[in-house]
Amino acid sequence: MKKERSYHTKYILIFASLLIFTILNLVLGSIILPIGDIFNAITGGDAPRVVSDILFSLRIPKAITALLAGAALSVCGLQMQTLFRNPLADPYILGISSGAGLGVAIFLMGFSAFGITIPSTLFSNIGIAASAWIGAFSVTLLILLVSSRLKDNISLLIFGIMLGSVIGAIISLLQYFSASNDLKIFVIWTMGSFSVLSPIKIWIMFILIVIGFALSVYNIKDLNALLMGEAYAKSLGVNMESTRRRILIATTLLAGSVTAFCGPIGFIGIAVPHIARLVFRNADHKVLLPATAFLGASIMIFADTVAQLPGHSGVIPINTVSALIGVPVILFIILKSRFI
Amino acid sequence: MSGKDIKILELIKVSLGYNKVIYSDINASASSTEMIAVVGANGMGKSTLLRSISGILKYHKGAVNIMGKRIESYSPANLAQQVTFVPSQSPRARDLSLFDMVATGCYNRSNWIGNISKEDRSLILETLVKVGLKGFEKRDSSRLSDGEFQRAAIARSLVQNSQIILLDEPTAFLDIANKIIITNLLKEIAVTEKKTVIFSTHDLMQALKLCDKIWVMGHTRFFEGEPGDLIEKGAFDQMFKDSSLKFDSKLVTFI
Repeated sequence: MKKERSYHTKYILIFASLLIFTILNLVLGSIILPIGDIFNAITGGDAPRVVSDILFSLRIPKAITALLAGAALSVCGLQMQTLFRNPLADPYILGISSGAGLGVAIFLMGFSAFGITIPSTLFSNIGIAASAWIGAFSVTLLILLVSSRLKDNISLLIFGIMLGSVIGAIISLLQYFSASNDLKIFVIWTMGSFSVLSPIKIWIMFILIVIGFALSVYNIKDLNALLMGEAYAKSLGVNMESTRRRILIATTLLAGSVTAFCGPIGFIGIAVPHIARLVFRNADHKVLLPATAFLGASIMIFADTVAQLPGHSGVIPINTVSALIGVPVILFIILKSRFI
Repeated sequence: MSGKDIKILELIKVSLGYNKVIYSDINASASSTEMIAVVGANGMGKSTLLRSISGILKYHKGAVNIMGKRIESYSPANLAQQVTFVPSQSPRARDLSLFDMVATGCYNRSNWIGNISKEDRSLILETLVKVGLKGFEKRDSSRLSDGEFQRAAIARSLVQNSQIILLDEPTAFLDIANKIIITNLLKEIAVTEKKTVIFSTHDLMQALKLCDKIWVMGHTRFFEGEPGDLIEKGAFDQMFKDSSLKFDSKLVTFI
């Protein structure tokens, strides 16, 4: 009972940090918005036009995107780490992000190599998201096909890493032959960004991620059974093939959608599940999964706030900030050689 | 499940291995309340045999029948109700409480998110008493000693309540005291819970003393029999490639 009460305190602290970082995120930016005006604008009260414009067309969509992305990537990382029993597994280890990258690379650079020009702006934005999703999904399909032939998860992990390298090589080749303008758009995409998505895109991302979350919650029972290895799980009656399939599909829905709309965002997926484990000291996914989701959202929105460089008009790429937060955590894990 | 005539487990001309045969022509059977030891030199395939019977590994040829049905015809959930397997060294999960570890044995009965019933909750506590881990339920399972961890793994297999319990070298990493405690515990489970307990071991002397039957994965062929019969047949002389190692039936040891 005492343990449960301390969980409540920890959850309350996470929610509080989530709330504080979200408010900070809305307040800070190239222009600092007064907190009173923000409150008024949201509750429909009297607020300056400029404030509500910035808020509703820029900051709130961006905050929602960051919160969704952080939660999705972290939950995805948690499932990968348990499935592969590898503390360094993350949403991208199976080549899902490389697949998304290849999709975008083909869209941006492949077509122009064959002399096909893409009308820019709107079409190219949706095109980037769609091609990233198709790329991520194709890689997952390929992995699903291969996974039934591989005898264990470690082989699957190695296959994913190899696949990622091959795709990386193909992308380099495309970059080599592409026009400098296309290359620039691609490189900017790889830096990751939450910069304003249209409402329709946020809705698409939201729905895909919610489905991914639902599936992840359904995976909790099997994830707990997997804690002591595959042989053990099988002996409990876990249907490994369907479990592996469900985890991979949830992963693609979560990480694939984030990558499609925000670009490949690193380190959050590895680092956050470990922070959740450190905080809760409980291997039960019934505790860890929600904790990871809310911590992920909280850390991501914090990272995004830092990336906006309060008081400046510039924005640091989100991947730079997430690396600065994630890398120390990963080094800590390696040095303390924590196991799952 | 009454009487010894029901063949709970039957192996007919089983060849082990997936792509390559590593051991062939295994004929054996097991009934309830039987404790069986699997012995053989390193690398003969004791672990592979147990994993094949538990459905974790596919085998090459022959038939493994459980309750008269081919093992392949069971779904993973149904198979888990008949057979459970305790690996020799399962990876340990940090911050997994002993109670939660043992509770994974209720996988087939718990609800969609893994919550277990009140009855299962008390069953787990009773089982912990049975294996001598009373009061340990809140301990971190990854910090248990090897002996305690093995007892926890056995508790999990009991909670799963399957007829056949397979254990891969359950005493390999234990000191003599724990070796005796675990083997006696297994014997007790076979007799009082009417289970079929099959485990691999290198401790032939203890197997001869406690087991109803022994499966010898000999160098030339497979033997199944009661300890006394096997000694008479000279089955243990076949255990090692080195023919200068002979089993002395009077001293009941290798010389």
